[in-house]
Amino acid sequence: MEHARHVFRVALLLIAGLAVVSIGRTLLVPPSFGLYGPYRHDNVAEQMKVREPAHAGPAACGECHEKEFKKRASGKHKAVSCEVCHAPKAFHVRADGSMEAMPIDRSYTLCARCHRKIPGRPAKFPQVVLEQHLNGPPEGEACLQCHDAHSPAM
Amino acid sequence: MPDTRHRLPVVQPDAEPGTPGRRQFLASAARLSTGALAFFAFERAEAGSNPAPAAKRSSGEYNWDEHRWTYLIDTTKCIGCGSCVRACKAENGVPDGFYRTWVERYVVGTEKSFVDSPEGGLNGFPSVQVDFHASKAFFVPKMCNHCAATPCTQVCPVGASYRTKDGVVLVDGKRCIGCAYCVQACPFGSRFLSPVTHTAEKCTWCYHRITKGLRPACVEVCPTQTRLFGDMKREDDPVRKIIETERVEILQAHLLTEPQCYYLHLDKEVR
Repeated sequence: MEHARHVFRVALLLIAGLAVVSIGRTLLVPPSFGLYGPYRHDNVAEQMKVREPAHAGPAACGECHEKEFKKRASGKHKAVSCEVCHAPKAFHVRADGSMEAMPIDRSYTLCARCHRKIPGRPAKFPQVVLEQHLNGPPEGEACLQCHDAHSPAM
Repeated sequence: MPDTRHRLPVVQPDAEPGTPGRRQFLASAARLSTGALAFFAFERAEAGSNPAPAAKRSSGEYNWDEHRWTYLIDTTKCIGCGSCVRACKAENGVPDGFYRTWVERYVVGTEKSFVDSPEGGLNGFPSVQVDFHASKAFFVPKMCNHCAATPCTQVCPVGASYRTKDGVVLVDGKRCIGCAYCVQACPFGSRFLSPVTHTAEKCTWCYHRITKGLRPACVEVCPTQTRLFGDMKREDDPVRKIIETERVEILQAHLLTEPQCYYLHLDKEVR
């Protein structure tokens, strides 16, 4: 019987080891880990609601700003979403319904971002060499003196 | 017979009474390991017998089995306005100096080419002078390609990077340890370590939007329809139709990462 004790010791060690692994695994591995692959599946749902969408699209703007919405939709800028030149709706109408003034950039630089003639733009896209298009160097609200941003064709 | 036994040490007597011999030891070991196996099998079965929360998690209103998202970029349409970069930043709170999507400008001549992307194209592009004869110039929007066989998830040591069933490569910020292996593994430079969270961040195709039926913010604001978002599981999807019927290209095809961002009219200079 003397040597049987070795077997028991090994068995005890084995059981203790298994218990440690099992408890450790339960504590350390997140519940949804491995359901669909080696990742925490709960994160998929977390990613869906990581934040509220900030951009709402032109239709949402049109609910309050009908005049501008219609003018834009019938003009040359119909493909340009309101939020491109202004800011995402979430900056203007907060989640709790409170309002924040929409930043309005009236500077020529806003227009220049799309319409300044630079290498790289497709030839058929309307572009101007600002220095030649304007009388004098581009500055301030030069573009808006002649063009309506919501329907810029003259 | 006893003499023979003593001369052949390999054939030892099984056991003297009370001493565990080899046979007995093996038998005990077998019993123990069977027990251990049964224990683990039970544990696994217990974990597997609880699929209800999984089904609930993936469905709700959105069912990821019904979608396989895809992205299409027509490089001939891009005007380099950077609206997409700004929209991405605003939508996702991307830290300053880092980009989940960016726009590159290629000014190409027969012998030389020039590429720039000032602030990722956030504020548009300036005019540029090159010291060679440029025969063509164009913009190329870049972003995570949401590769189907992506190296970034393969190298993640903690299972923080993964690809969803609807085809979006995401980072679990709670598991990410910020080792940046994925940042190095991505051949497109689409990932970065956020200085705010100190975890890897990347384009999610605005997963919080697309699962609500909206388009990614960059697609939503693109004024020239350069960027299009589609669903390969929708038969009448216009983007799927273009990918199926036209000659589309992918970035760095030789790396076999199976990008899910498709490009129309890509130039050889674009990597």
